[in-house]
Amino acid sequence: MSQPHQYIALVTSLPDLGKLFTRKNVPISEFRLKQRMSMLEAEHTGLLQELVEITAWAGVAKYDQDLEVIRRANQVVNDLKDYPDLQHLVGTRMETRTLIAALRRRRDGQETAGDIASWGYGRWCGRIKANWSDPAFGLGHFMPWISEAHRFLQTGDHIGMERLTLTQVFRQLDHFGALHEFDFEAVAIYVLRWVIVERWSRYNEDDARDRLATLVQAALGKGSTSGIDPAVTEFPKDNSFAFEGATS
Amino acid sequence: MNEFVVALGWFGLYAPVALGAIGSAWGCALGGSAAIGAMLDSEGGYGRFIGVSLMPSSQVIYGIVIMFSLQQSSIDAANGAALFGIGVLSGFTMLFTGIRQGEVLASAIHASKAKPEIFGISLAPAAVLEGFSVFALVFALVLAGSIPS
Repeated sequence: MSQPHQYIALVTSLPDLGKLFTRKNVPISEFRLKQRMSMLEAEHTGLLQELVEITAWAGVAKYDQDLEVIRRANQVVNDLKDYPDLQHLVGTRMETRTLIAALRRRRDGQETAGDIASWGYGRWCGRIKANWSDPAFGLGHFMPWISEAHRFLQTGDHIGMERLTLTQVFRQLDHFGALHEFDFEAVAIYVLRWVIVERWSRYNEDDARDRLATLVQAALGKGSTSGIDPAVTEFPKDNSFAFEGATS
Repeated sequence: MNEFVVALGWFGLYAPVALGAIGSAWGCALGGSAAIGAMLDSEGGYGRFIGVSLMPSSQVIYGIVIMFSLQQSSIDAANGAALFGIGVLSGFTMLFTGIRQGEVLASAIHASKAKPEIFGISLAPAAVLEGFSVFALVFALVLAGSIPS
């Protein structure tokens, strides 16, 4: 099959994921999804793995330093040079993480943004630094979710925070997904959405509490926490991940 | 010069079939790929997916009809240009509508898999494109009647 036809067949073979938070189970298992992804071109398989790695918690968890994550994100953006929408997607995702990391740092008592270049990514670093004391870092007029996230963090509502951030990420994926129907970008966005839906479907309050306790212990044990902290959006129950590094 | 016009006439005579066949092949391949993918994710209703994916095959049939209507006892300087104009333009219409129909059918199959109740209505854009092909066919037949033989 030629490439356009191959991607038409691949995209139509993937079941609809529906709306976020509405499903108890994912409509396609990890095994089946991997099987379908074997229809991808070899080059695209590599790019998809990179994309999933940088956007999923499991992929970035192996890095100790924020700078390494930033460097890796830049590398992935560079590798995706033929796919500008995926580049924007990675950038937007990293910016969302930066905003969440900033909210956390401020909640933890940090009085200024400090050297934001060492832990932040993207367009909003300057705004975050200049508006550190503002609940939404001066971005609330077009990103109202930041104020909401600030409130959730202040009240310790982790589930609310999780839902909010996943909703934001899902909206970003919807936005870029609307631009593609039968191409590699469409497949990549589908997989990223699947990662979120699958993780939410396995979400269990008790497991999450245990996992959070483990993470906190691990973080205290290490003596430092990551600045770009995707844990709120991406903490999986275990390490059996899809696509070698994706959160499951 | 006359030989050139005669050559154009023959080109125009066969263009609806050739371009219509390309359009149909392309459109059916697009729709067929979507149908094959959809069958992987469906428990039944395979026939309807394959059925709609064959919709662009009508373009080559229209092309054949146009070719027969353009056929003359002899192609010469008097009718060569007319055959060329009607044949090539109607052929390109068949080519374009065939490809576009394949694309909208692929979208329709994809969408109706997620929401089966829209299957019928999702075929409306493909039916409209079919209508444009029919327009090209009908008016090619009308004009073919006024070509000097």
